[in-house]
Amino acid sequence: MVDSKVSTLASAGKALGPFVPALVVFLVAMVWGTLASPFFFDIPILLLHSGRYMEIGLLALAMTLVIIHGDIDLSVASNLAFSAATLGLVYESGASIGAASVVAIAVGTSLGLVNGLLVIVVGLPSLVVTLGTLALYRGLSQIALGDQAVTGYPETFVGADQNLVFGLIPLPLTIFLIMAALIGFLAHRTTFGFVSLMLGKNQVATMFSGMQPKMNRLIAFALSGTMAGFAAVLITARLGSTRSNLALGFELLVVTVVVLGGTDIFGGKGTIAGTVLALFAVIAVREALAIQNVNGQIQDAVIGLILLLTIAIPVAVSRLWGRAKLSRRKALLGLEKGIKQ
Amino acid sequence: MRAGIPRGRFFAMNLARFRDAGIGGIVLGVAIIFWLLNPLFMRPENLFAILLSVGIIVVLAVGQMFVIISRQIDLSIGSTLGVAAMVTAMVGRDFPNVPTIFLVIVAVGVGALLGAFNGFLVVGAKIPAIIATLGTLAIYRGLVFIVSDNIQVNPSEIPTGVTALARVSTVGIPPIVLIGVMVVLAGWYFTRRTMTGLRLYAVGSNPEAAIARGLSPLRFQFWVFVAMGALAGLGGLLYIARFSTVNPADVGAGFELQVISAVVIGGTNIFGGSGSVVGVLMGVFLVGILANGLTVIGVSGFWQSAAYGAIIIIAVVVDTLVRRQMSSGGSKGKGKHNG
Repeated sequence: MVDSKVSTLASAGKALGPFVPALVVFLVAMVWGTLASPFFFDIPILLLHSGRYMEIGLLALAMTLVIIHGDIDLSVASNLAFSAATLGLVYESGASIGAASVVAIAVGTSLGLVNGLLVIVVGLPSLVVTLGTLALYRGLSQIALGDQAVTGYPETFVGADQNLVFGLIPLPLTIFLIMAALIGFLAHRTTFGFVSLMLGKNQVATMFSGMQPKMNRLIAFALSGTMAGFAAVLITARLGSTRSNLALGFELLVVTVVVLGGTDIFGGKGTIAGTVLALFAVIAVREALAIQNVNGQIQDAVIGLILLLTIAIPVAVSRLWGRAKLSRRKALLGLEKGIKQ
Repeated sequence: MRAGIPRGRFFAMNLARFRDAGIGGIVLGVAIIFWLLNPLFMRPENLFAILLSVGIIVVLAVGQMFVIISRQIDLSIGSTLGVAAMVTAMVGRDFPNVPTIFLVIVAVGVGALLGAFNGFLVVGAKIPAIIATLGTLAIYRGLVFIVSDNIQVNPSEIPTGVTALARVSTVGIPPIVLIGVMVVLAGWYFTRRTMTGLRLYAVGSNPEAAIARGLSPLRFQFWVFVAMGALAGLGGLLYIARFSTVNPADVGAGFELQVISAVVIGGTNIFGGSGSVVGVLMGVFLVGILANGLTVIGVSGFWQSAAYGAIIIIAVVVDTLVRRQMSSGGSKGKGKHNG
């Protein structure tokens, strides 16, 4: 009776465990922000500000899938920049903004596919490939735009991110939540997602069981590109101009969000729900820092520190826990020895 | 020294040497193309500028090669260089009369300290190196801001002893280049002629077997990060000498990309266990010549990043295909990793 209670508690703890770091960070940041400034805890304003993080959110959704597979895609921010550059140039050449957006999403998807093909067909490590394409795609967007900015987007498009759905939820957040539901369904309710998890856990065994892991990984990379394309459309609507240095350094934030959300960086474990929660935690941290006028580089440093702590603390705790268990066992053994003597 | 190396590995080492010559050929070819496109490329002043930038990158690249051989990676080197450069420049500014050697010690010491923290995160806290150093990349960049209070150190405030490192000395070669040569020679000697160097390869190519032989991969990995940090610190000093200005916003930013490009082009296996200083030197020359040559022939600087990216990918594709050829040719292939 007691045993079963303990085991249900333990399994509940195991199921919720991955969400704990993100939840703690979220709550601490909210409380801290509220204490630091009376203007912080204003939900409509916070929701409106959340819009500028939704590009990171979209990238993080697909990145979760990529990392679950045991891969990584460091090129997402550069992919976003190049997709945005094509959006700008196609629009400038006279196409409608809708057509330009479709082209940008298609370009993003193809760049993601290029990453996937290099990793899966040629058999290269994804870390190196996407480090290469991080430079390559950024370079291509610099070549495409030079030091010029594309502006002059239609008024209905620029600032479209300020629209509220149901008079409360900003459009970017709505798009993000819909995407999260779709990708969450893909990751947790389909064979695709099941194969992904298995693949991340044990590649060799998965291949012996007759699944199609190569296709799975390729789709994840392509999807990562698709999200970069969507994010490019979103960021263009938000900023109203396109430059080659868009989203510089976003990859750190994206990986941080995914890892903070409980996804194992080595693959085989992770949830979309965790990533969504972690995104809100990062938003809370950055908003709490921003309201105190903390410089952007320092904000990045704080995010970096949180990234390290979320990985290091669980390891340290489990090690201490293990040591405590060991010493208890040793004490018991000592007791037994005492009895024997 | 060679007696203990099995024949297959010996063959691979010979092939690696052949590979170095191949990259050397590419470097020469690229240089000749730039020369044909614009004769100014071969002017002594320009070659001098290339040597100065190569001298800095190679110091970092040798360190990164050690890190990668031990199966780790350090993405934080640009920021480590930044902190070391900033601290050293500030010491030089506030105490103009300290001897240059003291500034060298400060730069290397700060770098080694930050490297040790990376090592602690990876070895002690068990955080994967990509994540740990992605985190410290941002943290150390923030540190540059905190330390400097966002105030740049100007050329007039840098001690002349340091800026002299980038000028032609009595020997006819600027000390930066001499320091680069010394680091390359030391790296070559360490990897090819010392027992510890050979053990580093052993730990990187097969950690389980290395443990069975009584080696501790963790200890090697920790010290490799310390060495990388110390070399990045030295790079910071050379950076001050070369550019005379330390701006908190961009000091050392983006160095990691140039350095990892050079190391990968140089044939260092990203999965650890192999890599040669000669190859890395060739890789550094290719990166340095490309950066300089593109500007000299009038191609806009905007092409640089794309060129690095393309070269990294081409180098890894070629390397992987060659390796696969080798492993199908009888010698045992390396275990494939996912990710």
